[in-house]
Amino acid sequence: MTMLRTDVVTRVSRATRVAIATDLRRLVTTGDVLDAGTDLEVYGYDASFLTQLKPVVPDVAVIARSEADVIAVMRYANEHRIPVTPRGAASGCGGGCVALRGGIVLALNAMNRVIEIDGPNGQVICEPGVVHARLNELVAPDGLIFPPDPGSSRMATVGGMASTNAHGVRAVKYGPTSSWVLGLTVVLPNGDVIETGSVGSRAKQSAAGLELTKLFVGAEGTLGVITRLRLKLLPRPKARAMVFAVFDVLERAGEAVQAVYRSGISPSAIEILDSRSLRAANLYRPDLGLREAEALLLFEVDGNPAGVRWDAEQIAETVRPLAVEVDWSDQEPRIAKLWEARSVVGAAVGALRPGSTRAYAGEDICVPLSRIPETLRGIQELSVKYDVPVATYGHIGGGSLHPAVLVNGRDPDDVRRVIALTDAIHHLALDLGGTVTGEHGVGAARAPYMTREHGAALETMRQIKRALDPHGIMNPATIFPEDVPPTPALDASLVTGGM
Amino acid sequence: MAESLVAGHRSTGNGEADVVPRYTIPGRAPSDVRDDDVGIALPTGAQALLEAEYENMLACVRCGLCLTSCPTYVLTGNENEGPRGRIALARALTEGRIPLTDELLTHEDNCLACDACTDVCPAGVRMEPIQVAFRAAVEPAVRRPVWVRALRTVVFDWLFPSMPRFRFLVWLVWIYQVSGLRTVLRATGALRLIGMSDADALLPPFVPHFLISSGQTYPPEGDRSDRVETVDLFAGCVMSTALAAIDHATVRVLQRSGCAVSCPSGQGCCGALHAHSGDRAGAVSLARSTIASFEVGGDRPVIVNSAGCGAMLKEYGHFLADDLDWASRAKRFSARVMDASEFLATRTLPVMHPIGAGSVRVTYQDACHLSHAQKITSQPRDLLRSIPGLELTEMAERSLCCGSAGVYNVTHPETARELGSRKAESIIATGAEVVVTANPGCYLQLRARLRATGSKTEVRHIMELLDAASSPVVAR
Repeated sequence: MTMLRTDVVTRVSRATRVAIATDLRRLVTTGDVLDAGTDLEVYGYDASFLTQLKPVVPDVAVIARSEADVIAVMRYANEHRIPVTPRGAASGCGGGCVALRGGIVLALNAMNRVIEIDGPNGQVICEPGVVHARLNELVAPDGLIFPPDPGSSRMATVGGMASTNAHGVRAVKYGPTSSWVLGLTVVLPNGDVIETGSVGSRAKQSAAGLELTKLFVGAEGTLGVITRLRLKLLPRPKARAMVFAVFDVLERAGEAVQAVYRSGISPSAIEILDSRSLRAANLYRPDLGLREAEALLLFEVDGNPAGVRWDAEQIAETVRPLAVEVDWSDQEPRIAKLWEARSVVGAAVGALRPGSTRAYAGEDICVPLSRIPETLRGIQELSVKYDVPVATYGHIGGGSLHPAVLVNGRDPDDVRRVIALTDAIHHLALDLGGTVTGEHGVGAARAPYMTREHGAALETMRQIKRALDPHGIMNPATIFPEDVPPTPALDASLVTGGM
Repeated sequence: MAESLVAGHRSTGNGEADVVPRYTIPGRAPSDVRDDDVGIALPTGAQALLEAEYENMLACVRCGLCLTSCPTYVLTGNENEGPRGRIALARALTEGRIPLTDELLTHEDNCLACDACTDVCPAGVRMEPIQVAFRAAVEPAVRRPVWVRALRTVVFDWLFPSMPRFRFLVWLVWIYQVSGLRTVLRATGALRLIGMSDADALLPPFVPHFLISSGQTYPPEGDRSDRVETVDLFAGCVMSTALAAIDHATVRVLQRSGCAVSCPSGQGCCGALHAHSGDRAGAVSLARSTIASFEVGGDRPVIVNSAGCGAMLKEYGHFLADDLDWASRAKRFSARVMDASEFLATRTLPVMHPIGAGSVRVTYQDACHLSHAQKITSQPRDLLRSIPGLELTEMAERSLCCGSAGVYNVTHPETARELGSRKAESIIATGAEVVVTANPGCYLQLRARLRATGSKTEVRHIMELLDAASSPVVAR
């Protein structure tokens, strides 16, 4: 398998960087251009362990504030063959928004205007930097909701959600972000602008032509830059209820999920916490008082008040023979507290071993529902084998699991073991008929597995990429493991003006 | 080794794993410093100060949850101006990977230390100690004009450590206000000319009826002999002088709640401004003298009505943790400290009556150092709701800093004005007649920014409202 090489990044000379920045300052009319050495440090990472270990600092960062800025950057970069890496809130876990081959980081977080909430047509037009939670605050007064809900609602931008095709806790009922994007405005690598999903359309469905919208959703900025999104909204459900069930045999948790589906109920979320996660949550927040067992399942149902109560009772009855403890509630404070138990786990994992922190590596596998107990056991065995604490939780309803590994970043041996464990987790997922990324995206961290995961289909993806981005400047080394050459040797002579 | 996720960390040569995380040995990776970035040399002793907060910096997993909580990030959209960026910069500096540059200094200095990021951080990173350590570490390297250096010396070394001097200054300011000099300077535009119009707008109208702590005790009021408890009042420097009316109101409210209120002599400034301005030695000295002057009260609660001071007093335990002689005394003192609203929420005020003729619409502004640093948000609201006829309404962006942030509105007037105006808009949008806060900085900032928009919304400290509502004499 081909290695991802972050060590081949060759920073261009200071003179070239100054020249690029000088040119861009002239071309970028509303945004900011950063090129001072220490100002670029913070554009060299996201949440991934990969960049935590080693920030990959770009040559220039542009904070775009308008579509015109994006067009100007792309035209310039395309002319001079400078890599461009789009970046939102940089809350991703795969290193997909850092300049792996140097060049320009194009930050879109400041393009954060909601342009129009079209209530009657159930859609919203907005810029890519709008944060998910903010969008939902703004559409709530109209009784609407943008249903995809990443756990990172308070940081993730909708542009990043679309680019990584984020799923989140409610994807099991509402589907991934791609189901909710009606159209996109995209600046192509050569600076041309296209609108997908029919120009100027407000239709909620379309069968016209190739589905270009879905091509750019999940492309992680390798095909172009999203500058505007037309998103579909749904009437906000009036009520929700939560069933929680504790299991002392892991396999029974898996059976419980199957049994609920067979009973004809489609929960809006089904989450699992394994024994280590429960332990971590209790260490971190003793007041939560979670019963420690092999697994805890949370089933959320939403809809009308009478309906959610019926659903919750039905689920509780269905799983009762399999669980050691079952309860349900439709009281908002109780539901919020249970969700809190789920949401603190990611950070709480650090409590399992003082002096260590959570590392986002191997954190996003997805396996067939029927293989979940096997996967959880496999992860626990690998945890013992590599002597790295791992707590696993996730959206079991869709088979998406988040193994949270702990690392003491000051101990090189520990770092080595975490890297080896991560690799083993990825291969475990592939062995069991799953994927290395269920919802966070490939980025750089998971690019080395794409050949095994896709086989010949990867070449088809490459052909699409080459057709749209012949010079390979769009977010190189993300998704595609090896075919993008390192940054061409830039020098000042390539750059117009400035020198 | 197996196929590696981060194969880029392998050496290109023999295939042996060669994983050397950049943060293994702080300050000992000179080869990683990019040669083209010329920086300022780190001052002596800076490395040790930074390393003391290194664990804290490492706890950041860079999830980005803090970004939207940060006032400067919200305003600029620049990651250097967000909490995650500031931590990354401080960490890279500590590790010796990047040099100290003017840009880096500016980004760190622009932090309001409002701790909104600390409040939302799931990994438990605490920003304030990082800022305090960073500012102390780099202060000797900061290039400041001679007159600014001189002013800092006067303010930090001469003025704040001495309450008599502080009172004298406040008295001079009073003279400035009542003598007509201010009117002349304002009318002629002289204030704008010397760049002091923002600072001037922050001055409160006050009468020099100072609360001087000289060991006096105010007795409890009413027939509450069954519940008499003595508390110590931390009177504060600004609160006991420029805003002395609030201190007096606090004493009365505590008396009516059945407490005897003791004002230990020897107390003065808490040192928060020093700590946030890089004067660690000054802050340590004030912390020690504050602790010493309150030890006479044993384990009595120390009541403070200024959120900024309260946060600092509660932080003494951490701040002096490595100080062999003072660590345990500091910890014991910090455990006694309670914000006035935190304390009063555990007591009952005898009689509460309306503060206006009809119902009064009020909005409450969370002081960052109360809500973020001390996690006190419900108690003041509950106290306000206990006032008959008071209608409490919430403003938008309630956890966003108003821009006061200690002396930030003097040192960074533009950003402070932008944040202050944004806050004023949120307040005005609620339609409230009164905005209530619990911190002197916010109090002055809100007054200045609301007045600048022509708003008639009154600014009150929560103790002033409780004083009016619990007063035996109903003032209409």
